Amino acid sequence: MIAGALFYYQRHWWRNRLLTRIRRLRQPKYLFGAIVGGLYFYWYIFRALGRGGPGVRFSPEHQDLVQAIAAAGLFVAVLLAWILPQSRAALSFTEAEVAFLFPAPIGRKTLIHFKLLKSQTVILFSAIFMMLIGQSWGGGNPVIRTLGWWVVFATMNLHSIGCSFARTMLMDCGISNWLRRAFVLGTVGLMAAGIILWVRYTVPPPPHLIKGTTDSTWLWRYADEIAQSGPLPYVLFPFRLVVAPSFAANAGQFLIALGPALAVVGLLYWWVIRSNVAFEEASVELSRKTAERIAAVRSGNWQAARKPKKAGRSPFHLRPTGLPAVALFWKNLTSAGSMVRARVLVFLVWMVIFAGFGLHSQTKQAGGLGAGLAFLALVLAGLSLFWGPQMLRNDLRQDLLATDVLKMFPLPGWQVVLGEVLAPAAILAAVQWLLLLVALILFPDRFNDYSTTLGARISFALAAAIVLPCVDLIAMLIPNAAVLFFPAWFQLGKDGPRGFETTGQQLILMFGQLLVLALSLAPAAAAFIIVFLLTSHLLPSALSVLLGGAVAAVFLLIEAGIGIRLLGGVFERFDLSGEVLREG
Amino acid sequence: MEIAPPLISQAAAPALIEVDGLTKLYGDFPAVTDLSFSVRPGEVIGLVGPNGAGKTTTLRCLAGIIPATRGSVRICGRDLAGQPIEAKRRLAFFSDEPRLFDYLTVDQHLNFTARIYGVANYREIARPLLEELEMADKTDKLPGELSRGMKQKLAIACGLLHSPEVIFFDEPLTGLDPIGIRRMKDSILKRGRAGAAILISSHLLHLLEEVCSHVLILKNGRKIIDGTLGEVRQRFSEQSGDSSLEEVFFRATGESKGSP
Repeated sequence: MIAGALFYYQRHWWRNRLLTRIRRLRQPKYLFGAIVGGLYFYWYIFRALGRGGPGVRFSPEHQDLVQAIAAAGLFVAVLLAWILPQSRAALSFTEAEVAFLFPAPIGRKTLIHFKLLKSQTVILFSAIFMMLIGQSWGGGNPVIRTLGWWVVFATMNLHSIGCSFARTMLMDCGISNWLRRAFVLGTVGLMAAGIILWVRYTVPPPPHLIKGTTDSTWLWRYADEIAQSGPLPYVLFPFRLVVAPSFAANAGQFLIALGPALAVVGLLYWWVIRSNVAFEEASVELSRKTAERIAAVRSGNWQAARKPKKAGRSPFHLRPTGLPAVALFWKNLTSAGSMVRARVLVFLVWMVIFAGFGLHSQTKQAGGLGAGLAFLALVLAGLSLFWGPQMLRNDLRQDLLATDVLKMFPLPGWQVVLGEVLAPAAILAAVQWLLLLVALILFPDRFNDYSTTLGARISFALAAAIVLPCVDLIAMLIPNAAVLFFPAWFQLGKDGPRGFETTGQQLILMFGQLLVLALSLAPAAAAFIIVFLLTSHLLPSALSVLLGGAVAAVFLLIEAGIGIRLLGGVFERFDLSGEVLREG
Repeated sequence: MEIAPPLISQAAAPALIEVDGLTKLYGDFPAVTDLSFSVRPGEVIGLVGPNGAGKTTTLRCLAGIIPATRGSVRICGRDLAGQPIEAKRRLAFFSDEPRLFDYLTVDQHLNFTARIYGVANYREIARPLLEELEMADKTDKLPGELSRGMKQKLAIACGLLHSPEVIFFDEPLTGLDPIGIRRMKDSILKRGRAGAAILISSHLLHLLEEVCSHVLILKNGRKIIDGTLGEVRQRFSEQSGDSSLEEVFFRATGESKGSP
């Protein structure tokens, strides 16, 4: 009876959800989004289905190695489930499910079964999605690939639940998170040390490690030998069973591989069902946090989805009097500060160093690691104009749900807009200045056949340092203008930001941003060229570049000023009753 | 409960809130229609009506959060549409859910609000305000670390920092414990006695009876009646003028007490 009720709920949940999504296509904003999103998915993913793939695209001699790599990936995912989480067992339910199901006369096993059943839909969609991505790369049988991915995701899902139960039991026995992590890492470390020692004394290294030459055939053989002999195959054995169906070339191979994989799934299911762990209390808390996070994400405010755990330091002393827009700038800088964690900065530094090493090989002849890092810094500074406004959202996008509070402030609209866009623009400019400094310091005097003087490099860096903050201001104004003109595209309502239509909306916004930015930069670029051409005969070219940059910056500032004034007027006329308040 | 008289004479003072023909349409739907009333210094007016009567829409229009479709609103003599900044500088609006910034501490909220309203001596005002609201030891806490009641108090502290002459409350007692309710009532009465014009929207009629000098009843976006509590009681009493506001409400709105 209860199973029937739960089936009924699931069936109608999906049906009503689908109907709602279809009905909202009557609104142009969703219809256009759906068309663009549909074309995008068709072009990149579904088109591959029609073409038909060539089957497994790895050559037979690499098949085993690729399978071993996939198994190793699964092993790492499983390992992380034992290392990273620190909370007690919690199954994720919606707040409504908690309110209706937890007080109902339903046993915990039924709740677990409901959770497992519910997750099947997501798992199946994920499997189909991965199959489609695989098809666009080249293939195989879609049914086999889908079922193969289903086995992998089902295994991970069951393992994640079982692992959370086991973690809770260990905590109840007084074994702390750190003790558990130390034990897991110690065990894995010992295993890794054993494998490394075995490799060192048993498998000869590839020639390039000895002679300094690169030979991919040797590398494949070397990796293959490590994966197929010695202790590693035993470590990866259960994981290979799980990934094996995904690599089957035909139905026969698939059925042979499916049996052992399902046995692993069955074993995990037995483990989950047999675990006697109370998950209800932690699940209630998780459902609340999830609901808050979803609400934040649906409002387009991804950063608010992570609530600050501790207060961010004030970026500067805010005097109680003065231009009120500075208060909004200060608020948004404080917000950005509370979201940045030390580990993020460490991660970024490591990324830059690794990328620099990567470029080192490309630019070895031209200037070594320094040149590599310099080029990387310049590339990142250029890309930041595109990704910066997408990533830094401490502006009206963050405050969209608090627009009623902003509207109450006794401020002219232009001050609200200025205050809102200043913080992300300032952060972006600071990052770009840092990148320019790195590039300036590390850029080689000579690159291939070209040589540059220190004076020229300084002049280019200074010109860029003057122009970039002005470009940032305009780049930040564009998404904020989109918020005011199309708030419903950011405030996506209760149905959630999913589906073709949302992807389409994001694509339209992204391309719109690029187009508007390009158009905005055109007058400044023209001014730069004219000033440079006029003065390059009279002044040293380094000075001409600097002068051109300064004039371009003035053009950009004028544009930004006009934009802020216009958007301020839009903000003053912005009628929340037609947008945010009614949808909220 | 006796309502103490305001410190200034109401009759002589010009109205701080003047609403004339306020109409707000959501598309074709009239949320508020042709609403007119005024509130003088020291008057505490209760805005009552069934769900969907247009109370919150009225408050949002008066606070300048949403524009009126027709009609005019004057706050302390300043037209809200023509001089929005001057008008907003003199008002405070407290919504039923405290609207705070997740990443600013209590102290940072006050600092931020002070800069927005240009309150030069905000620390001198904030200190006794925080003590009155029993928040003096929570200045470095984020909203996420505060209880519902404490968040409400922080919103109130921010709203009162610039000493508004006009105050709007939307369901001010939501989520407060009995002590919080008592303090909120005292706080409203204190501001009223100090000469502020106060408009409170609430379904809690006994609260309004305790703190309000006037009442305005809305139904389907239209004003049914406004006046002093005594006048409204008199109008809708069957025999004597001592009916409770609850009875007046049911008679005025034509609702049945037995309906859910």
